[in-house]
Amino acid sequence: MLLDFRHLGALRWVLVAIGLLVAGFLLLPVVFIVLLSFGSSRWLIFPPPGWTLKWYEAFFADPGWFAALGASLRVGLAAAVIAVVFGLGAALAMSRGRLRGAWWLHMLLLMPMVLPVVVLAVGIYSLALRAGLNDTFIGFVLSHAIVALPFTVIILVNGLNSFDPSLEDAAVLCGASRWRARLHVTFPSIRLSIITAVIFAFLISWDEIVISIFMAGPNLQTLPVKLWTTLRQDLTPVIAVASTMVLAFSLILLLIAAILTRRGR
Amino acid sequence: MQTGPDKTRSVQLPGPAPRGWRAALRARLEGATATLAIPALLLVLFFFLLPVALLLARSILEPEAGLGNYAELLQSGAYRTVLLNTFTIASVVTVVTVLIGFPVAWLIAVSNRFWGMALLGLIFISMWTSLLTRSFAWLILLQSNGVINRMLKGLGLISEPLSLVNNMTGVVIGMTYILLPFVIFPLLSTMRAIEPGLLRAAALCGANRWQCFLHVFLPACVPGIAAGALMVFVMSLGYFITPVMLGGSSTMMLAELIVHLVQSLLRWGLGAAAAFILFAITLAAYALQLRLFDPLRSAKGGR
Repeated sequence: MLLDFRHLGALRWVLVAIGLLVAGFLLLPVVFIVLLSFGSSRWLIFPPPGWTLKWYEAFFADPGWFAALGASLRVGLAAAVIAVVFGLGAALAMSRGRLRGAWWLHMLLLMPMVLPVVVLAVGIYSLALRAGLNDTFIGFVLSHAIVALPFTVIILVNGLNSFDPSLEDAAVLCGASRWRARLHVTFPSIRLSIITAVIFAFLISWDEIVISIFMAGPNLQTLPVKLWTTLRQDLTPVIAVASTMVLAFSLILLLIAAILTRRGR
Repeated sequence: MQTGPDKTRSVQLPGPAPRGWRAALRARLEGATATLAIPALLLVLFFFLLPVALLLARSILEPEAGLGNYAELLQSGAYRTVLLNTFTIASVVTVVTVLIGFPVAWLIAVSNRFWGMALLGLIFISMWTSLLTRSFAWLILLQSNGVINRMLKGLGLISEPLSLVNNMTGVVIGMTYILLPFVIFPLLSTMRAIEPGLLRAAALCGANRWQCFLHVFLPACVPGIAAGALMVFVMSLGYFITPVMLGGSSTMMLAELIVHLVQSLLRWGLGAAAAFILFAITLAAYALQLRLFDPLRSAKGGR
């Protein structure tokens, strides 16, 4: 009866009230930042005296912001591709190969997710300084890929586990090579998992900030780094615009992921 | 047609090939599959194991060999305050997220499909949208002349603006907001696994609603609460962005100290030692969690 809404009595209205408050609590900052980006107040006063698009004009007119946006997109795409390709290989090895240490391999691949990101950031920074990877595209991409890898491994292992391997074996028995069978039978069957993995890997890179703060330099900084450095100097409404861009992009990708998952059912 | 060893698998059906040969082929095919893990392993080796090992080495070698860095961290009053701050904030955030997360998970567990999905979707969205952006929003919202303070004033609840940001209150609000999903999800899956018959049986045996809650429902939720609380506690120990943005000079946490030591003071040995303390605490907590509930085992079917 405690798990049946109709039999909860007065308690259900308490739960509903808390639910509404929490929903408001979760939505508030997101809605607020979007409204703020259209407000005309230079000092981020809310509610603003009027509405304007001038901060958007300022954002796109500033080559620094624009470059950061481009850097974020490029790094995100490259990191997503690497995390998914490497993750797919590892997932195949763990769910198909007869690997004795599969459990340990799985744990090892999930470790970067468990470690506090600041520890990883300082460690990678220390290494990158010696290897000359700081402020380079490849440094950004690989360090983002390591953060995204655990997520792609989880998604792809789940995808492979829900796909019957005997279908792939059947293709092989019919004369296809192992790789041909994978390419034409296995991968198309788990394409939904692959696309989801790409989206989430991109989102992780798109949002990555702690490692990026260390990686960034005069040559290359991603959008969150630019946001962070600007924030610490001056609270301008252009920050709200950049935040809205970051949010909008994430929301669109999440929506695509949700639609795909829905269609897959 | 294909050539190479793969083709020979098609011979398997009618194939009168000797057993040993077939087994060898199979082993070879599966061995080849195992090698596919190599790129991922190399990435983990060079961008995870090596950096962590390097950090450990620096923490005991710089500026001179020995455990001096660790001794300094644990003996100096300033660093001890940082450690204390970190544990205090993590504990408060854990308690608050569990207190808020429990009714929310419960509501999702009992509501119909549509509302359940709507709430879950909202939580999921907030989990996957920019941490930096949301912390920034809270910074503006919580200012002394910000929306929250003016709203409270308008309602007549306060006469002077509350200081909600640049102190521990700000950090706790921001981190609760960000970590709430991590307690709701495990709690929800625990609640969904509870057999409703169990509660019905308790009711049939004469338990009232409160007894039912206290003696049946709550104990059944304990694994979820423990998993969520541990997760939130461990994650908040290492948080950097939110505490820096919403906290003040007196609420410095471990992650901020590490970054400060390494980036501003260039005291790599000390910073690495602090990072390693954080790493060790985190590992211990996850080892505990693995002992209590193996996520891999539960991911492979079964609860």
